[in-house]
Amino acid sequence: MMQDPTLMNRRHFLATQSMSVGSVALAWLLQHDDARAEPAKPPLERPTFDLKVKPTVHAPQATAMISFLMQGGPSHVDLFDPKPELAKRDGQKIPGDIQYDSPAQTDGSLMKSPWKFAKRGKCGMELSELLPGLAEIVDDITLVRSMQSGVNNHVQGLRALVNGGIVAGRPSLGSWLTYGLGTESQDLPAYLVLTDPEGVPVDGINNWANGYLPALYQGTVIRPREPRILNLDPPPHLQGLPQERFLSYLERLNARHLAARPGEHDLAARIAGYETAARMQSAAKEALDISKESAATHKMYGLDVKESREFGTRCLIARRLIERGVRFVQICTGNQDWDHHSSIAVSLPKECLRTDIPSAALVKDLKQRGLLDTTLVQWGGEMGRLPTVQKGAAVGRDHNTHGFSMWMAGGGIRGGHVHGNTDEFGHRAVENVVSHTDYHTTLFHLFGLDPNKLHFRRPNGEASLTDGKSAKVVRELLTHPERVA
Amino acid sequence: MLARVPHHQFYAFVGRCFVALAIAQYALAVNAATPVPVDTKSPSSKSAPVFETHVRPILKAHCFQCHGEEDELQGGLDLRLVRLMAKGGESGTALVAGKHAESLLFERIASDEMPPGEKKMTPGERDIVKRWIDAGARTLKPEPTAIADVTDEDRQFWSFQPVRAVAPPKVKQTASVLTPVDAFLLAELEKKSLGFSPEAEPAALVRRLYFDLLGLPPTPEQVEAFVHDYAADSKAYEKLVDELLASPHYGERWGRHWLDVAGYADSDGYTPVDTERKFAYRYRDYVIRSFNADKPWNDFIVEQLAGDELVKPPYDALPPAELDKLIATGFLRMGPDGTSDPAADQKLARNDCVAETIKIVSTSLLGLSVGCAQCHNHRYDPVSQVDYYRFRAIFEPAFNVEAWRAPKARLVSTTSAAVKKQIAEVDAEIAKVSAERNAELTKLMDETFELALTKLPKDLHGKLREARAAPVAKQTAEQKKLLKDNPSVNITATGVRQQLGVKYREWETKYTGQLDKLRAKRPEEEFVQALTEVPGKPPVTQLFYRGDHNQPRQAVTPAELTIFDGAPKIAEKDAARPSTGRRLTYARHITDGKHPLTARVLVNRFWLHHFGRGIVASPGDFGTLGDRPTHPELLDWLANDFVAGGWRLKRLHKLMLTSTAYRQSSQRTSQLEAVDPDNLLLGRMSIRRLEAETLRDAVLAVSGKLNQKLFGPPVPVSPDETGQVVIAVDTRDTAGRPTSKKVDLGEEPNRRSIYIQSRRSLPLGMLETFDAPVMTPNCECRASSTVTPQSLLLMNSEFIVLQSTEFAKRLRAAAPEDLPAQLREGARLAFGHAPSESELREAAEFVKAQTAALAPVAKAAAAEQALACYCQALLSANQFLYVD
Repeated sequence: MMQDPTLMNRRHFLATQSMSVGSVALAWLLQHDDARAEPAKPPLERPTFDLKVKPTVHAPQATAMISFLMQGGPSHVDLFDPKPELAKRDGQKIPGDIQYDSPAQTDGSLMKSPWKFAKRGKCGMELSELLPGLAEIVDDITLVRSMQSGVNNHVQGLRALVNGGIVAGRPSLGSWLTYGLGTESQDLPAYLVLTDPEGVPVDGINNWANGYLPALYQGTVIRPREPRILNLDPPPHLQGLPQERFLSYLERLNARHLAARPGEHDLAARIAGYETAARMQSAAKEALDISKESAATHKMYGLDVKESREFGTRCLIARRLIERGVRFVQICTGNQDWDHHSSIAVSLPKECLRTDIPSAALVKDLKQRGLLDTTLVQWGGEMGRLPTVQKGAAVGRDHNTHGFSMWMAGGGIRGGHVHGNTDEFGHRAVENVVSHTDYHTTLFHLFGLDPNKLHFRRPNGEASLTDGKSAKVVRELLTHPERVA
Repeated sequence: MLARVPHHQFYAFVGRCFVALAIAQYALAVNAATPVPVDTKSPSSKSAPVFETHVRPILKAHCFQCHGEEDELQGGLDLRLVRLMAKGGESGTALVAGKHAESLLFERIASDEMPPGEKKMTPGERDIVKRWIDAGARTLKPEPTAIADVTDEDRQFWSFQPVRAVAPPKVKQTASVLTPVDAFLLAELEKKSLGFSPEAEPAALVRRLYFDLLGLPPTPEQVEAFVHDYAADSKAYEKLVDELLASPHYGERWGRHWLDVAGYADSDGYTPVDTERKFAYRYRDYVIRSFNADKPWNDFIVEQLAGDELVKPPYDALPPAELDKLIATGFLRMGPDGTSDPAADQKLARNDCVAETIKIVSTSLLGLSVGCAQCHNHRYDPVSQVDYYRFRAIFEPAFNVEAWRAPKARLVSTTSAAVKKQIAEVDAEIAKVSAERNAELTKLMDETFELALTKLPKDLHGKLREARAAPVAKQTAEQKKLLKDNPSVNITATGVRQQLGVKYREWETKYTGQLDKLRAKRPEEEFVQALTEVPGKPPVTQLFYRGDHNQPRQAVTPAELTIFDGAPKIAEKDAARPSTGRRLTYARHITDGKHPLTARVLVNRFWLHHFGRGIVASPGDFGTLGDRPTHPELLDWLANDFVAGGWRLKRLHKLMLTSTAYRQSSQRTSQLEAVDPDNLLLGRMSIRRLEAETLRDAVLAVSGKLNQKLFGPPVPVSPDETGQVVIAVDTRDTAGRPTSKKVDLGEEPNRRSIYIQSRRSLPLGMLETFDAPVMTPNCECRASSTVTPQSLLLMNSEFIVLQSTEFAKRLRAAAPEDLPAQLREGARLAFGHAPSESELREAAEFVKAQTAALAPVAKAAAAEQALACYCQALLSANQFLYVD
């Protein structure tokens, strides 16, 4: 009966190894090492989904990504995009068409930024005084001032930027990357999300959903407070030796079961799953434990300042995850934290105080550890804000998806560069416009992938992140534009 | 470059939806191992492509929307017919037969100028167009004078063909044919010199049947009884099938499959508010009842689509069978619906609700993605945008977006007049007591005021009395100041409470007690989340240009999709009914036994749940982009038999379950692996993991805690303090913060998973981790993943640890002081059979060692905890999680 050599090997392997904790993991590791040399399989074989490292279509420059999801719409005209004309014509009506989310609360008059802009770094990038942290790393970032999605709602805007399209049910960017690339980490999930204690961004789990991709590629949420990962701790009485014995016995049961069912890959995968889970209990703990980081590091991330301590902790955790081979880390602010329709004079500085120093520290820290070359850091929301005033109890700004800013660093992104421009008021992107699809295409290029060739088969046809929408790699953002095919 | 793409992506890549290539690839791939008919749409490299078969599908997918289908013809060019291409547009002729280089059509495609922006044609598609032009741009037959959205070629597509009357084929291994199903499968196996695998062990069979039909494990006694009967009685297996089909738990298991397709949820979804649907459960119970009663599926479908049109109002005194028809329409109320959230764009939310419902209806009953034609003609299937809106018109009178009824406003009360009278009486009493209470409170406030006055100078008393008596709006500035300066006289209810202390509380308790008693007496009003039409002039359905409800165009009348020729006309208004009768006419039409899709789609789903894979692997898509049937004759035979047998599912179950195919072992063999690794030919059964609900239910059944109560309102879910969704009453405050309040749910948390509240925004952690779907809007086919969070859950979650402890208690109670007996019973309960001696020895060694490991902390409790660890290992083992 048992003549298939591949089945034989597996059984032989399982039968000859000691059944201690570790043998199945070893089997998985061996498979993992093989992955690059994996021969082409016949097309009829059912696709199996795993997190093994996958070959790319061309040499990658970035191998990991940290995405700051600053949901709500950070005001680019107050942070990133200085507009002298806006200051000059403060209080005058904005000329031309404009799309509001809350038209009843505006008379269409322009509102100058209450904050001062100044040239920073060697490159002389102009930034708002609200961003002293970012000011220190401008020579390492590209600031895109010409983002445009034209999708005026938070939910749909997010979906465009995170999921590549406005309908629900699409996989997130991180899911696509882990699907396309697999992961280097054997002890931690490939895709981790660090959510805010104040709640999750608008559209909730869609921001890290696997959508129609297998659940394997879903972002695993690291909670903003202890326990940061659920079910990570055995009940107290089972910790340590009792759990080791438990897993060892369970593995015996499973090995016996598998031995009678050769060739059942799912059963083997589940055995390996216990191995990873067991390792994750300590590995995740270790990865999430920042107590051994130096006082200087804590200070650098703003952990000594009350306002930035929480966000800084998550940024520091993100670096530790990247060091441990995690492919994609998403750091979120809370629900509508940047949606400053009103009281922008108070709320925006508050949000910046919380996030600016830690975000910049992460880039600095990655650089000093030699990780920035291969780690792409991106910072931005789903929209920016209008140059016009929104009147309420205290003034703010309304949504603007026709022109907004985001910054990126590392992983093949140029330093000290400003790309694109909005009109004289910061309303519409008018020069070198970057759509969300261009952004995705550029990211994929840096990861050695082509978004239109990374497909997933669905009952209704082929699906991809960009779904064939026309898009370009934005060469001006790259350290090596010559590598674009 | 392709070779460097991982194999599964490569597979996905070549299977891409550019039609011709995809089908060519498909035919090739499938031909290698299965008997699927080669699709006619793949031109071989030798024969020249023709328009209808090869070129039109490409142009339909990429070009027709702008060059033909929409009002405004881009560039004046219509590409829908060859002669129109030759005629050309503003830039002159688009086609020079025989010369691709001179044909504008090809030039624009080759330069990637067309199609603009969005998806480009693939090199393969371009090549077909090129070859077609060079070979003379031929058509199969003379082109029609009028342009039709549905062509003869569309009608040829397998799933639109009438269900064929087929006889089971002749096979060599006749002894293996127990039911006609076997003959169809065997015929294909024999073509590859294969046959069925041997019958599974009886212990495996009984476990397979229990999980398949009831979603619960057999008890050790049930296993042993069957194993015993199996040896003695050749009919034992059939008897077991009959017994399980008669169990009330059958409806819970199979009802769940249908609830997936219907998109069952106890909440509205659509917006983050995700309002609860308190009465959705009555539809869930109706589904369970219908399955248990073996309600013929033609009736079941008609009731769900048009039950309201079968019963006469008033609805408050309907006998149960009539009431069920009304409840059945809950099917059309399952779609996500944001219209109870004031923050949602109402017009958009209403139209989205209708669109989601259309998706549910079409994928569940027709196996067609009709929803794809909402904005433009379906790119791949012969469903035009006009078809879509005609289809919508069938449902529009009940979903009148212009006169929308909010979710709460459209609940139908089924409370009887007598009960309503009782409610009114209690309400009157409550009002009376409340009035008394308020009068007394006013008196108390006055008294307290007077008391406060005594502490103030006398000369102020009169002025203060006047100021207090004056309505706020009429108080003078002086009076206002006076009151402000003397805060002690500003008596509120809270003030009274503070000043009177115990006396006030006694007084309050007296009334609270009375009111609570009255409220307890008040009967609950019963509602049905039904779909009904408001009598009167039905709304006009208009086509929405590009699917945008703000751009309505021509009015359309209700009709079946054009592709289904010969469908009865659907009248705009049935004069004999208060409702329009549109849905009823439509429902009767698709269940008349002649519709090519209804029965095929249904039997395919039933097959999927028994065998793990549909005959058509895409159960919700029988269209061009769906999979082709692996056994088309079998599918047709089953569809015919189902209809001829009176649409009775239990009969069909029996036919499938008593086949040799179903009774096979799941063991892989190298011979089968070599020929058919995906088991498409069913030369063995496939091992399957328990679905989320089944796993949870089985854990409870084995631990002895399962509450087998049937039906009723859902058991609530809530996030716990760690953010995980668990079974609990949601006691968060209005800001969503957790409070320490706990509500005792008694034995409710241990009910079967189908009764656990299914809130779209709050999927139960245990179920979600094991792939229970979140309904957006429905689930046509479940995933079965194998991920680390599942392992962590089985290792460390409160639920599993608690149930393991309960399981251990159960074992100790069954065999006090006898560890070997406890261990044996544990394995019997979890796996369905007794462990071998060596397994038992291993178990004993484990428990002994684990007791020692636990002893330093657990002291005397170490042995009990060690047994619970053993139980947890059983519940986490693959042998428990999978069914052979």
